[in-house]
Amino acid sequence: MTLRKWLLVLSLLTPGIGLIVAFIGVAVYIAAAQSFGYYNLAGESSFSLEFWDRMLDRKVFSRAVMYSIYIGVISAFLSVAFAYPLAIWLRKPFPGSLAIGAMLKAPLLVHGLVVAFLFINVISYHGILNQLLQGIGLWDEPHRLQNDRNAIGVLILQTWKNMPFALLLLTGAVQSISDDVLNAARDLGAGSFDRFRKVIAPLTVSAMQAALIIIFIGALADFSFQVIAGPTNRQSLSQLMVFFKDGGRWNDAAVVGVSLMIIAIAGSALLAAVSRIVMRGRIA
Amino acid sequence: MDGITAGNLKMVFGDFVAVRDVSFEVAAGEFVTLLGPSGCGKTTLLKMISGFLTPTGGTIHLSGVDVTRTPPEKRDTALCFQSYALFPHLSVLENLEFGLRQKRVPPAERRQRLDAVIDNLDLALHLGKLPNQLSGGQQQRVALGRALVMRPNVILFDEPLSNLDAKLRDQVRIEIRRIQRDFGLTAIYVTHDQAEALAMSDRVFVMNGGKIEQADTPEELYSAPKTSFVADFIGSANVLEADVTSTNGNGDVELSTPLGPLKANSGAPPMGRKVKICWRPEHADLTATGENRLSARVTHRAFQGHFTDLHLDDGGNGYRIQTNQPSIREGDTVTFSLRSDQIVLLEALA
Repeated sequence: MTLRKWLLVLSLLTPGIGLIVAFIGVAVYIAAAQSFGYYNLAGESSFSLEFWDRMLDRKVFSRAVMYSIYIGVISAFLSVAFAYPLAIWLRKPFPGSLAIGAMLKAPLLVHGLVVAFLFINVISYHGILNQLLQGIGLWDEPHRLQNDRNAIGVLILQTWKNMPFALLLLTGAVQSISDDVLNAARDLGAGSFDRFRKVIAPLTVSAMQAALIIIFIGALADFSFQVIAGPTNRQSLSQLMVFFKDGGRWNDAAVVGVSLMIIAIAGSALLAAVSRIVMRGRIA
Repeated sequence: MDGITAGNLKMVFGDFVAVRDVSFEVAAGEFVTLLGPSGCGKTTLLKMISGFLTPTGGTIHLSGVDVTRTPPEKRDTALCFQSYALFPHLSVLENLEFGLRQKRVPPAERRQRLDAVIDNLDLALHLGKLPNQLSGGQQQRVALGRALVMRPNVILFDEPLSNLDAKLRDQVRIEIRRIQRDFGLTAIYVTHDQAEALAMSDRVFVMNGGKIEQADTPEELYSAPKTSFVADFIGSANVLEADVTSTNGNGDVELSTPLGPLKANSGAPPMGRKVKICWRPEHADLTATGENRLSARVTHRAFQGHFTDLHLDDGGNGYRIQTNQPSIREGDTVTFSLRSDQIVLLEALA
């Protein structure tokens, strides 16, 4: 390609990709620079590793890192795990399949905050769930389910919200596998699980990777579910970042923000690699 | 018995009867073709034999064992798909050994079986390739190898040559037949191509409207079709309606047809007073002066190389003959004879 053509291509891409790159680039630059002492709003702006040093020593930070990774990974795997059987079930149209598909995707249209508040209402001390379980005689007294220490509530919310997205990606991929290929596997002796493991999973691994990565990044950076339904004895990275920002400690907030970005990139790469190795379908 | 036995097989989809009370036996090592037009039920029948469809009624026995409700993964059959159905993410070698790994065949035996098939189908150079790096013929050979390596009692083919060009189709056809004989497999082959069916099969089951119209050797089907459908579907035939005017104990039948009186002796008594009859275009003999002499004007001529196809008109009745005399032109009147044993009596007319 000639220089003239390169310039033409670049100028055509600039309004779209250029804008995105500019916005992301500026945000990343500011966050990275602030984490190393620049753009200090409360002191001298100069290069410093002090903010990283202090942050890495803080127990609250390491707990937040572990907690966010836990939420990100488990949410991504649960969403994909629930979406796969549904995608396979909806692979061939049947009476009502369109309506079922639409209902399953409905959570995509509901805002996370709304869902979180509804969920809290359902599981609260005097909520419907407690009343129901007491009503049927399973519990003698109400139990505290809200803001549980293992973040089961957050995981339920994340899975409920993200599963439809995984379903959307996986349905298309599963539908693209021909009946003959699945029948051939069956004819050669593969039962349901082997057909999934050796044919469906490897042939849909790209869609699965995309779903895992996108859900992982979203859940890793969760703020709203954590604030409303998360455990009170630990913070997610986003929560910690906002905590520092609210205290005017922008450089500390930037360290947490950059950590979040690094974990998102590294975690995504790791998830993609692991899923490709595990799902390549060549292991007997 | 070894081989396949089907009794009163029936398959209904909603209001549509795809297969109606079909019964047949296929001997071990026999090559049988299911032949018929689209929608006649041949693929449905194959899917019932392979286990992908459970019959609405009837039974299927493979080597004497009732497998009517046995799922495909537990049947001793292997199916070659029309689309080849190779696993696109696996190499040729991995495709070939997929079934062996599923059945947990020990490594030494697996290696030995693979070597035999790879050698037989000349696949050694392609083992590391993915299916999308192979030509149609090579993909077909891999699909065939993947089925053969399982050493099934019964191998099933669902129009496996329909995606190949004419030349390759001929080659693979011969190859399939050779391998079937070499491995002593019982084979059921589905096609709508009558030339393929005649060339490959020990017996052909001609299907129409969900039932088997005639099950016979290719030679019998061609020379002695039992119905006008079979006569018309296998090769080309001139089918006429005729009134039986007299018969005798030797099988001689005198007929009154729109072309005039004809004498037939096909060895079988007529099925009624009014019947359908047929004769093959190539049986018209322009040199003979014997019985059943007919004259007609040539309305269309098509030179086909080793013969010439003539469309004739005899007072509004059109039919075809084939001759090796290329000098005949449109508008000429030709006279020819038909031997009485080449006029076949078909079904009776109501």
